[in-house]
Amino acid sequence: MKTMKVTFRVNDEKVTLQVRPYETLLETLRERLDLIGAKEACVMGACGTCTVVVNGIPLRSCLVLTPEVDGASVTTVEGLKKDEKLHPLQEAFMEKGAVQCGFCTSGMLMTAKALLDRNKRPTKKEITKTISSNICRCTGYKKIVEAVEEAAKKSI
Amino acid sequence: MENEFTTVGKRVVRSDSLAKVTGEAYYTADIKLPGMLIAKVLRSPYPHAKILHIDLKRALKVPGVKAAISGFDTYGIKWGVFRYTKDHPMLPTDKVRYIGEDVAAVAAVDEETALEALSYIRVDYEPLPAVFDPEEAMQEGAPQIHNEFANNINIHVHIDVGKVDEAMKNAFLVREDTFKAAGEAYAMMEPYAVVASHKNGFLDLWMPNAGPHVRAKALSNLLKIPLNRVRIRHINSGGAFGGRSEVSPGDLIASLLSIKAGGPVKLALSREENAISTRQVHDMIAMVKTGMKKDGTIVAKDYRVVYDGGAYSSTGPIATSVPFYVYEECYRFPNVRYNGYRVFTNKGIRGMYGCHGRAFLAGNEAQMDFMANELGMDPVEIRLKNGLTSGEITATKSKITSCGLKETIQKSSERTGFKKKWAKTQKFKGIGMGCVAMMCGFPMGFRSGSSCYVKMNDDGQVTLVTGLVDNGQGNESLAIQIASEVLGVPMEDINLINADTEVTNLDPGAYSQAATFVGANAVKVACENARRKIVSIAAQKLGVREADIVLKNRVAYSKKTPDNKMPISWVVREAFFRGDPIVATGSFFPKIDFEREWVSRPWGQMAGTFSFGTSVAEVVIDRETGKVTIPHFTAAHDCGRPINPMAVEGQMEGSIQQAGVATIMEGNLWERGFLLNPDLLEYKVPLACDMPDIETIIVSSRDPEGPFGAKEGGLTIRMNAHSAVACAVANATGTLFRELPLTPDRVLDALERKKGIKR
Amino acid sequence: MILPKFEYKKAGNIAKAIAFYELYNGQARYLAGGTDLIPLVKLRLSTAMAIIDLKGIKELKAISHQGGWLLIGANVTLFELKNNDTVREYFPALYESLDATSCETLQMRGTIGGNILQDTRCLLYNKTLEWRTARGFCFKMGGETCNVVPNARACFSNYCSDNALSLIALSASVKLSGPQGERKMRLEEIFSGDGRNPFTLMPGEILTEILIPMKRSKGAYKKLRVRDSIDYPLLGVAVSIKGKTGRVCVGGIGPTPLVYNLKDINGSTFKDVAEKAYSDARPVSNTTLSPDYRKKMVSVLIQRASKKVLQEGK
Ligand SMILES: Cc1cc2nc3c(=O)[nH]c(=O)nc-3n(C[C@H](O)[C@H](O)[C@H](O)COP(=O)(O)OP(=O)(O)OC[C@H]3O[C@@H](n4cnc5c(N)ncnc54)[C@H](O)[C@@H]3O)c2cc1C
Ligand code: SF4
Ligand code: FES
Ligand code: FES
Repeated sequence: MKTMKVTFRVNDEKVTLQVRPYETLLETLRERLDLIGAKEACVMGACGTCTVVVNGIPLRSCLVLTPEVDGASVTTVEGLKKDEKLHPLQEAFMEKGAVQCGFCTSGMLMTAKALLDRNKRPTKKEITKTISSNICRCTGYKKIVEAVEEAAKKSI
Repeated sequence: MENEFTTVGKRVVRSDSLAKVTGEAYYTADIKLPGMLIAKVLRSPYPHAKILHIDLKRALKVPGVKAAISGFDTYGIKWGVFRYTKDHPMLPTDKVRYIGEDVAAVAAVDEETALEALSYIRVDYEPLPAVFDPEEAMQEGAPQIHNEFANNINIHVHIDVGKVDEAMKNAFLVREDTFKAAGEAYAMMEPYAVVASHKNGFLDLWMPNAGPHVRAKALSNLLKIPLNRVRIRHINSGGAFGGRSEVSPGDLIASLLSIKAGGPVKLALSREENAISTRQVHDMIAMVKTGMKKDGTIVAKDYRVVYDGGAYSSTGPIATSVPFYVYEECYRFPNVRYNGYRVFTNKGIRGMYGCHGRAFLAGNEAQMDFMANELGMDPVEIRLKNGLTSGEITATKSKITSCGLKETIQKSSERTGFKKKWAKTQKFKGIGMGCVAMMCGFPMGFRSGSSCYVKMNDDGQVTLVTGLVDNGQGNESLAIQIASEVLGVPMEDINLINADTEVTNLDPGAYSQAATFVGANAVKVACENARRKIVSIAAQKLGVREADIVLKNRVAYSKKTPDNKMPISWVVREAFFRGDPIVATGSFFPKIDFEREWVSRPWGQMAGTFSFGTSVAEVVIDRETGKVTIPHFTAAHDCGRPINPMAVEGQMEGSIQQAGVATIMEGNLWERGFLLNPDLLEYKVPLACDMPDIETIIVSSRDPEGPFGAKEGGLTIRMNAHSAVACAVANATGTLFRELPLTPDRVLDALERKKGIKR
Repeated sequence: MILPKFEYKKAGNIAKAIAFYELYNGQARYLAGGTDLIPLVKLRLSTAMAIIDLKGIKELKAISHQGGWLLIGANVTLFELKNNDTVREYFPALYESLDATSCETLQMRGTIGGNILQDTRCLLYNKTLEWRTARGFCFKMGGETCNVVPNARACFSNYCSDNALSLIALSASVKLSGPQGERKMRLEEIFSGDGRNPFTLMPGEILTEILIPMKRSKGAYKKLRVRDSIDYPLLGVAVSIKGKTGRVCVGGIGPTPLVYNLKDINGSTFKDVAEKAYSDARPVSNTTLSPDYRKKMVSVLIQRASKKVLQEGK
């Protein structure tokens, strides 16, 4: 089967790739671009571990075909740092102990980032609702919610 | 005293978290090696069938396929954790025993090719009658799953202490109930993956695992490769919860394929494969009979517990025992009989689980509340009355050295206003309490201890080498934190090399709650040995007594005259000059009774120490839908001294999710041999919105043997949160539960049952 | 799990999309958010030579008012719709069902058109090819039996859209555009009653617009699920009333929602509907909760929803 040319921005860098039309964004990021921060846990849209931000919206990249993001701007966990400085969410996740095994972490961070980008001061309830899109098996979520609250405070 | 420490007892940022928040942390599926092949496994579509023939020829002809294997390519050695449980061929040649069992595998240049090749493998089966229910499997005439185990009874743990029948006869109050529970899924977020690379006769492997050394040994046996040529390497693990403690078929498959193909091979399981073919948790039926005196003293316990073990033994003897032990280590049982049966069925293999035994544990606790109520007591009184205390000996002869059970009960009940709420009663609201003790480590022969090597580098930085494993709990950070405290250098100055069988020494692994008590203890001893060397040189150089030397923040100084100081790096360089660099080893071996054996000799000292905990759940029941919500959850855990309170809280909070909230939603659903929810959608891992408001109470005590007085970080909550929820639901409905999880349909049934009785 | 091979085509307008469909002789699937379609393709439950992406079609993304209707383009995401002022003010049942759909992240990707046209579900159907092959194919996979109800002659898979229920309760209509031209029908008319192939859409037809009569309503949506996010409905009940008339729609049980028209609403109306719906509902053992329980909940949720609706007016 023929491959397709796709051009999009990843973490502020333009990339042009030849991809299979039936390739998911998660596969492209992990296998072609070596951006392994987004993880594969269910590939059926059920867990949010693969979440990346596309044009400001959190997407489960296991359900997105790479050709669909032609022309779009994709941010992955690797793009959260700006000028070698950690994003407030990354700092807060570390300081609040919101990371255990770390497998859900990048998806959580990206889901939370999209939230803070559209809502600078979310309430605890809003945060809980938002991260209820993602499964974490380790933490009980308490410290994740606290970390997002903390990051929201910091980023103002 | 508290302030004397620099990092121990502090809420420090975990050493592994930076790599995890930046996405740089590597997990097995992230590994890419030059020329790496992709493996896929063909699995049994039958629950029980004879294998007549396996034909790999056509698969091997597919362009891009580099190797194909079946059980006929192995030595046919069966794996078992124990001498008497060697029943798992990993790749069977005689028959398949569950749907999803590994039958054959290929390695190819990419996934598409591998999948195509799989479709060309022909396996001829002759289906056999199968059995799925453990009680049926024990009946005479049931299909036999293994010839060596009559009536499919894999393990029978029989414990009989005192005179149970007599005590029951004389008891004031006797009650017998039967509780069932569906097995849970580990549902670690990372599906199982393994990379094997065989080169020049040496085999390197990466996989999420809880004990690299035992794995290497198992693979060395199965592959007949000398142990020194099998190397399990370090990699991050996306959760284990007890599910990754032993060698798995995937390890053997990837290794064999790599040997055959002559290049590295990656096998990454899909979510469904992870659910149907790796280990799951036991379904259970627990008969609990209790006799009490009028004053609530437990005089006898009689148990018959049936564990659905699935097709193979796995850690069977341990799994058949642990629920009982964590309970007998908590309460005083003068007379007790336990008959635990682990039974084979034609379903996926069952292993140990962090929350293992909920039917038994929650059943015991809920029944105790009902009996207490009849005697005019409340759950707090009855637990305090029967709870073990420091210095006591358990029914099977383990001495409790330090014990914070009482404090955890008192603090959690005070904090929640337990007694008042329990007496209540606001309709459809309930409160419940669960207690348990946890052995920190258990007998594993010469693997019960751990040792550590530490060296100081010329810049004053430290390298720690230990077999200690981290499955996400924070064990690595814990080791670094302890070294940092002892050596007086900040955590970021310490490099950790761990869980790599080529470099690190034997360690019990991260599945018996031994990481803190044993592994970290060895780290502490090694660092203390290194410290002595540093102190000796520094004292000489600074002209003060050794006892006057403090190591802190990379500096050695005199306590009396703090200006009299020198950088630790100078000390290190001086040591190099002297031809006696600062290197040291240290070991820790717990004081346990090594004659103790799970089946043949179930008595003697089980572990070096025990931790204790109490959970309190508050629930609200929707009386029309039966849906349970848990607005508040309070957990108190005696962890000895918390090394990093934030990490201990994290473990407790995770436990409340995985054991507590799980009690109302988690359970594997089976239709005969088919797992109906092998995914993350229909298997219900609780979400943020399902979580209660959590309050964690760390009861800090000082264990005389533990590192800085520490025991373990939070497992008691994992083993009693289910009890708290089940007891709270019983309190709210006024009836004992029959089966877990307490899904709304079951709770509604309970409410209706209760109504029926009243009427 | 890798996807099977297919071509990807992006259409800039409806005509182009239909042209693609015809080009592939019907061996094509339309793609909106993909949150229903992609898992089905991965599981080999939906196969196609080509996937035709509708997201480039501008006209499908608009929400507008026209001639007494609220017109919603099929590609409007659930999240956008939820945050639309008119929806919040006029159609509380729809607002509540949108809010209860899966989770926020999926609401931001999933479209209302895709939500309505999502395939029916069954615990024994939404599984991998390997699982299903071992179990044996059922009606919905082209087999000869139902694996849940032995000897049944129909498929009892469940229609799990939350929002179709509230839209039906709001008397919504849909516009379709296909190779044979355009047509408009009431939303409840798109259901075939056959779990194997739940919709009456003709090959190649595109759902272009959803139309809701612009009348302020009182309403509620009640959903039965185990977790309060991500989960599909095990039962959904939408109630919407305008003055003395209204509608109740029950879904999540069987392939077609149950619809009840209410006239001259009085004290016993909802009780009667609850009883009627209870006896009409035919849940089978193909979800994680028992059929008996789900059946019982039909009347419970109807009463609950109605209570909320009736209280609202006071
Ligand atoms: C984990 C998970 C949980 C979910 N939970 C819920 C839930 O609780 N409630 C719920 O209702 N849904 C749920 N969904 C399903 C799904 O996310 C939503 O229904 C979503 O709105 C579907 O929209 P979509 O745009 O992604 O549809 P797509 O997947 O793009 O399309 C769905 C179907 O409709 C067809 N289609 C789409 N648009 C058109 C059109 N304009 N014309 C003709 N055909 C079209 C497609 O060909 C496909 O067959 C869940 C999904 C997942 C993965
Ligand atoms: S209800 Fe029966 S026919 Fe329909 S999908 Fe389920 S098993 Fe198949
Ligand atoms: S891996 Fe994409 S949602 Fe689970
Ligand atoms: S930290 Fe392990 S899954 Fe979230």
